[in-house]
Amino acid sequence: MLIFTAKRVLSGLIVLLVASVVIFFILRLAPGDPAAALAGADADQATIDAIRTRLGLDLPLWQQYASWLGGILTGNLGDSFILSAPIAELIGDSLPNTVFLAGGALLLALVGGAVVGIVLGVSRRRAVNSVFTAANSVAFAVPPYVTGVFLTLVFSIYLGVLPSGGVGPGLGDPVGAIPYLLLPAVTLALPTGATIARFLAASMRRQREEDFVQAGIAKGLTTTTLFARHVIPNSLPPVLTVLGIQIGQLLAGAIIVEVVFAWPGVGQLILQSVITRDYLLTQVLLLLAVAVFVVMQTLTDLADAALDPRVRMGIR
Amino acid sequence: MTAIPELSPARSRRLPSALRGTLADPGVFIATVIVIIFVSVGLLAPFLPLQSPYLQGGQAFAPPSAEHWLGTDEFGRDLFSRVLFGIRQDALVGVIAVPIGALMGILLGLASGLNRILDAVLQRILDVSLAFSSLVMGIVVAAIVGAGIEAVLITVALVNVPLFGRLTRSAVRSQQVRDYVTAARVTGAGPIRVLVRHVLPNAVDALIVQAALSLSIAVFIEGAMSFVGIGVRPPEPSLGSLLRSSSSFLAIAPLYAIAPMVILTALVLCFNVIGDGLNRRLLRR
Amino acid sequence: MIPLLSVRDLVTTFHTSDGPVQAVRGVSFDLSAGETLAIVGESGSGKSVTATSLMNMVRAPGRIESGSITFKGVDVLAKSRDELRQMRGAAMSMIFQDPVAALDPLMRIRDQLGEAIRAHSAISASAANARAIELMHQVGIPDPEARLRDYPLAFSGGMSQRVMIAMALANDPEVIIADEPTTALDVTVQAQILDVLDTLNRDRGTAVILITHNLGVVAQLCQRVAVMYGGKIVETGPTAEVFANPQHPYTRDLLAATPKLSQPRDVPLVAISGRPPTMREPIIGCSYAPRDPLAVARCFVEAPALEPGEGARRHACWVSDGTTSLPPRPELGLEIDQAPRAAAPRGAALLQVADLTKQFDGPRARAFGRRQQVRAVDGVTFDVHQGETLGLVGESGCGKSTIAKLVLGVESPTGGSIRYAGQDSTVLSAAARRRYNRNVQIVFQNPMSALNPRRTVGSMLSEPLALQGMRGQELRDRRDALLELVGMDASIANRFPHEFSGGQRQRLVIARALAVDPQLIVCDEAVAALDVSLQAQIINLLKELQTRLGLSYLFIGHDLATVRHIADRIMVMYLGQIVEQGTAEQVTGNPQHPYTVSLLSAVPDPDPSALSRQRVILQGEVPTPLNPPSGCRFHTRCPIGPTMRTDREICRTEKPTADPEAEHGVACHFAGEFTLVGSGSSAPISADVPHGLGPVRQTTRKTLQ
Repeated sequence: MLIFTAKRVLSGLIVLLVASVVIFFILRLAPGDPAAALAGADADQATIDAIRTRLGLDLPLWQQYASWLGGILTGNLGDSFILSAPIAELIGDSLPNTVFLAGGALLLALVGGAVVGIVLGVSRRRAVNSVFTAANSVAFAVPPYVTGVFLTLVFSIYLGVLPSGGVGPGLGDPVGAIPYLLLPAVTLALPTGATIARFLAASMRRQREEDFVQAGIAKGLTTTTLFARHVIPNSLPPVLTVLGIQIGQLLAGAIIVEVVFAWPGVGQLILQSVITRDYLLTQVLLLLAVAVFVVMQTLTDLADAALDPRVRMGIR
Repeated sequence: MTAIPELSPARSRRLPSALRGTLADPGVFIATVIVIIFVSVGLLAPFLPLQSPYLQGGQAFAPPSAEHWLGTDEFGRDLFSRVLFGIRQDALVGVIAVPIGALMGILLGLASGLNRILDAVLQRILDVSLAFSSLVMGIVVAAIVGAGIEAVLITVALVNVPLFGRLTRSAVRSQQVRDYVTAARVTGAGPIRVLVRHVLPNAVDALIVQAALSLSIAVFIEGAMSFVGIGVRPPEPSLGSLLRSSSSFLAIAPLYAIAPMVILTALVLCFNVIGDGLNRRLLRR
Repeated sequence: MIPLLSVRDLVTTFHTSDGPVQAVRGVSFDLSAGETLAIVGESGSGKSVTATSLMNMVRAPGRIESGSITFKGVDVLAKSRDELRQMRGAAMSMIFQDPVAALDPLMRIRDQLGEAIRAHSAISASAANARAIELMHQVGIPDPEARLRDYPLAFSGGMSQRVMIAMALANDPEVIIADEPTTALDVTVQAQILDVLDTLNRDRGTAVILITHNLGVVAQLCQRVAVMYGGKIVETGPTAEVFANPQHPYTRDLLAATPKLSQPRDVPLVAISGRPPTMREPIIGCSYAPRDPLAVARCFVEAPALEPGEGARRHACWVSDGTTSLPPRPELGLEIDQAPRAAAPRGAALLQVADLTKQFDGPRARAFGRRQQVRAVDGVTFDVHQGETLGLVGESGCGKSTIAKLVLGVESPTGGSIRYAGQDSTVLSAAARRRYNRNVQIVFQNPMSALNPRRTVGSMLSEPLALQGMRGQELRDRRDALLELVGMDASIANRFPHEFSGGQRQRLVIARALAVDPQLIVCDEAVAALDVSLQAQIINLLKELQTRLGLSYLFIGHDLATVRHIADRIMVMYLGQIVEQGTAEQVTGNPQHPYTVSLLSAVPDPDPSALSRQRVILQGEVPTPLNPPSGCRFHTRCPIGPTMRTDREICRTEKPTADPEAEHGVACHFAGEFTLVGSGSSAPISADVPHGLGPVRQTTRKTLQ
């Protein structure tokens, strides 16, 4: 298990390193001179050159990359010139909000997805199955920006029971912020939860046909034991894989949901940085997104290994 | 255990009849009809007798009327016309970007079957590409080329490359160990011939299913990028940009948001229904 | 006396989306306490569904439609869910065909066994653990305390099946239903498992219902047999009597289609033409009538019932009178002339393989360490001569399929040489390989995966012809000629592979191999995936083609009886090396290597006269090729090796070699010491070996009553 963990962490770091290279160099493909853009339309060449030197843009690309990466590793993320603030500070202000939102949504998605998935995976009744499957397909397919607008229309505008945006009292008062969290978290949780439910149900139906389940029946196990100890544990590995990928979708969804509900999080920040061409900020935030994804992937891989001895042995 | 031995003679492997069979499913049939209507209306929008989607000056937020079937927007533009031209954007994205991305993905996947080093490189690229979900990819693209329909087109194409690449590669890998591929090789077929004549036909089912799902993803990405402001930008109409504009006026004009919401949902859902139907019919024998 | 289990008029149907499949169509039988009953039949006969019906656990969409199952006087089909649960695993338990799939991969063996124990008795975890150790010991798993902590992945197929048996025994059942328990296992492991079942039947009086397709297994384990065909029992009675004097034509033909070691190898195999009923349509009359040349008019219109014959025997046939022997099956045109081939003068050596070696990358020994090397083939030398059939026999993992790939040229050897018609063909360029394959072709094991499901028969056969430059009418003529050559009609060219049965598909595979006009065909387990009646068709076809086209075969198989039937010479392989080679007569009639002897004795034979034959049950399983034993690779399991006789250190240290030039070559330091004792003889196999100890167990089945 230790070796397995070391391998996974190492490969995660490699992905991160590759991603940092890709992010850094690909953003340099953008047409136009960032120094000129920063200096403004009517700046003279001397000003532009000064800015360029100050940003280190006159150095060879690989040196720029090295100093950028070195800065990140030593905790110096650089400054946003558009917002004239240290990037670390900007992230510090917005990241907790995003974590609050994404964490709440992930919790909802896991609980809801597990419940619906197990119902779908256990039930053999056609009516139950088709109703749940249809509802699940809708939750799976409808994009979060549509869901978000729809929920706002219904609960904020028409019923007027929940706020339509913002974080309210903020994280200083998490309980007070819950009404504000509710609509965004549900919006964000729906597609992920539906995906979990869908894969769990499909996986359970497959496992139900396995010989060891038939052997369990032949042993005289009760249906509850059979599902709780054999069918469900064996159904989890594919769900974990999907969950790892879904984390990426959840992050992307968070960006959308933050826009819909005016949630002051990292998503809004990254969009703003793209629109204002604040590429220093963009590249740090992109790397952050990839890092979160890689960490979550590694965690799901480790969970998979904890569950399945074959993964630990490297057989599967 | 051989519970049902030699029971199900494998279904016909003729693709056209399988596709027809899929259409026999009422859900898939309805979804296909809706999609065809939307796509043709969207593509034909410039040739339909519509008011200009850019013409301002009428009453803002006018309710639906004979003149303005869906009413007007904040600048008094005809919503019906804007919605149709909006659909057009999504149809174009689907028709142009998905095939380009699919083709690139399929070619890469096939190429992986020819060379082991190429395959290892491709595998790494696919792994890393997983870390960029579609919207994050959209952000990267928009950061480079700027917001606009071009960013949407490029993003949709790029997102599809690993989807199709992964699928083709796994088909290549699973097929290449099949006995009939070995048989083709030893009866004289060269590697390209084997890939094109023996491997690809057996991946077609999965690729068709993916194509349907990819169209759904295309609509999703257009909506998402335009909604968050890095895709199609006003005054250009698109389903996502319409929804974004309307979302500022939910309290004043709730009906404004309805049309883009319904159509976006319908398109995404219909492509999903078609994809699932094809999946049931083609892949689960 | 009331029978333990009584089944009457059982009907089980699968309601599939393509319409109902009547898998079981009225089966009745009784089972007495302590009895061993075999239900034997080919795939689709309904035998496995009958087995699952007994415990009322037929899978959806299957349903028991009618009939009754009475177990100890109680109707099983009337039991509530909880009553059923209490019966399953306690009074009646079951073991499965694929033991590896029947164990939950995520759960330790201890927990899986404990679960079976505690599902039926409220005992403490430690008591359950003690019971688990006792059970593991009973089924012959060494070091049970340690093995209980393992996950199933640490268990081989044979060990997994022992665990399944232990689980089935957990609550002292009165009946064990064994559904093809040895089909997924190698023949030496099969012998071990049959021995375990036999022992528990004799020592504990547990009744066994054995579901199998293998007539030899039936003869070895079961007192009584029920033969199933088309969802019904067509004949039943004491095994020895039924096999000696079958009263149903299906039983007769099945026996005649099975290759037997106890028969001279030139006795032709009967090929049963036609195919079994699909079970979708109602069957009018006798289900076997369409395939029986001696069927009379009544057979086609009226279904015969199971009538009592002599003694305990019953049969369902209008032709048979129940006492006199049935006439042998007449030869049909399709079932071709079977005159044994005269020991043809050996032609020139076509393929010369010398010191062939193939290494694969194995797993890493340590994390980030170097990969271990697996020597799948390790220094193999042989020739295939013009017009001859060379058989290659070994258990799974011995490297025989790797040899197929090497000879075919789709894999390159790590060492050694392959010469074809005098030319070096060891490592070929793409173009040279294509030329080489004009002469060397292959027939695969699984005819389904050997045919591209997307392409018609015609396009499949046309491709190699077109690649040779044929066009138009010439190509079509040649294609039709190929189909005719393998006994198929030219009109099928537009059909897809799934429209054909397994045997027909294998004919198509052969036709494709013949398309390039090869001289040597590698048959890699070419009949292993087929039912016995179809096996005989394909073997006969291969023999016919050899005579007509002068082909040479490298015939690879795991079943000595089958290989012996087709091969002129046989090589026996163990862990990547050839241990013995010689003519088929020499290797199967006078084996000199202890492994060959053990392998031969482990093959179950349906012939009642073979029952008194002595069996050598090799202990343990084939070691991993990652780390093969030193010296003679067989020494860890050898009945006359160093584990039995401490003075035989040479087997551990020195690799024995066989003279490849010799007509009968044996790679053993003590070749010929351990020999097969034929049927009827009562002499012990080797006087030095103490009974029941060490790696060898000798058993002699008493004649069945």
